[in-house]
Amino acid sequence: MEYFQENIHLGEVLVQMIAFLIVFFTIKKFAWKPLLSIMKARRERFESEWGGIEKTKQDVAALQKDYQSHLQKIEEEARAKMQEAILEGRQLAREIQEKARLESQASFEKAKANIELEVQKAKISLREEVANLSIRVAEKILTEKMDSASQEKKALEILGELERTL
Amino acid sequence: MSAEQHLAAAVQGVAQAPEKVAEELPNLITLLEHFFPKSHFVHWLFRWENIFFSLLVLSFIVIRSIGAARKNEFLPQGLQNRWELVFEGLSGFVTGILGPRGLEHVPFLGTLFLYILLQNWLGLLPFMKSPTSTWSTTIALALITTVYIQGVGIKAHGFVNYVKHIAGNPVGILGLALVPLMFVINLSIEFFAVPLSLSLRLFANVSSEDKLIFKFAELNVMYHWLPFFFQLFANVLVILFSFIQAFVFLLLSTVYISLILPHEHEDEHDAAQEKSLSHPRSPTT
Repeated sequence: MEYFQENIHLGEVLVQMIAFLIVFFTIKKFAWKPLLSIMKARRERFESEWGGIEKTKQDVAALQKDYQSHLQKIEEEARAKMQEAILEGRQLAREIQEKARLESQASFEKAKANIELEVQKAKISLREEVANLSIRVAEKILTEKMDSASQEKKALEILGELERTL
Repeated sequence: MSAEQHLAAAVQGVAQAPEKVAEELPNLITLLEHFFPKSHFVHWLFRWENIFFSLLVLSFIVIRSIGAARKNEFLPQGLQNRWELVFEGLSGFVTGILGPRGLEHVPFLGTLFLYILLQNWLGLLPFMKSPTSTWSTTIALALITTVYIQGVGIKAHGFVNYVKHIAGNPVGILGLALVPLMFVINLSIEFFAVPLSLSLRLFANVSSEDKLIFKFAELNVMYHWLPFFFQLFANVLVILFSFIQAFVFLLLSTVYISLILPHEHEDEHDAAQEKSLSHPRSPTT
């Protein structure tokens, strides 16, 4: 009991208790509550912003996926159109080739017909010429009295003339 | 006579006083008492020296913490940052034991921890004293803690249930017969053993630390600073143990609150019972 009395002073205990209670209520109101509310507000804001970031990330990922599917679709369309164009081109080339072939065939046929015509014409002209020459040779033979040597000479001249004419 | 000689004389004077064996280094007030032995004011101050040093700590806590809170910056810097770190750490510790419902007890337990810690460390500063090295200070804190814990118990259970809890929740005739005994045991534990153990542990440790530092200082004076490094080592130990003692006080107070609060699974059980009563099962099930 003596030890208690030596070490515990009731007045001091009471003042200590009052002092602690004053400081407790003071800093509870003016320090703990404001600081804890600031920290809480900060935590909530970070959480909400973090949630926003996560949502934006998901949106971006969805958009990226969308764009990729669009790009793939566009590529597929382009590839299909290219194939179509190639096929059309090939078809067109075939048609042009066919047309050209037909045209060339036609012009060849025409040229051939012309040539044949010209040949026929030439043959007719030649026949007429030969006939004329024959007539002229016969006329000359008949009109001029020639020896056999001069007749032969004359005939050679007529032939030479005939060659030149042809 | 130089200041150093005065100081040495004061140390020796306190150490060799016949009526009281010195156990601590001289502080500002014991020096004043030495220099002005006839001054009533100094004598009065000497009588209330623990309160004086406690008030220094209290002023420091109040001014610095309110200063930090008044900054109110969303991105904390400097003082606010340091106090937020302390508050956040204490909140995390208390809610780690008590769960989310412990948040309302954080200001009390946090203030208690800071107050005890700074009082313990105050004795390390030259010409200062640890007010927690006296039993009067620690018993005051322990009594406040006890009252707070019992208040939490009454608030959580209701007064009738709280009394039942103190009576040992008697069931049957035997339980009722044991009520007086349970009252005595529980009241002794809650209102005597708890504050006694809390206060004695802190007081004994801090006063022993002060004695240790004093003895090393005495050795330094006697052996011309030869054991100075031993004193440094003792100071490091005192810093560490002062923190541990404040932490133990906080830990035990938190555990006592957790013991007196209704257990969470009991709450869940009660809620389940209420639910089953409000939605009774059909006879077929």
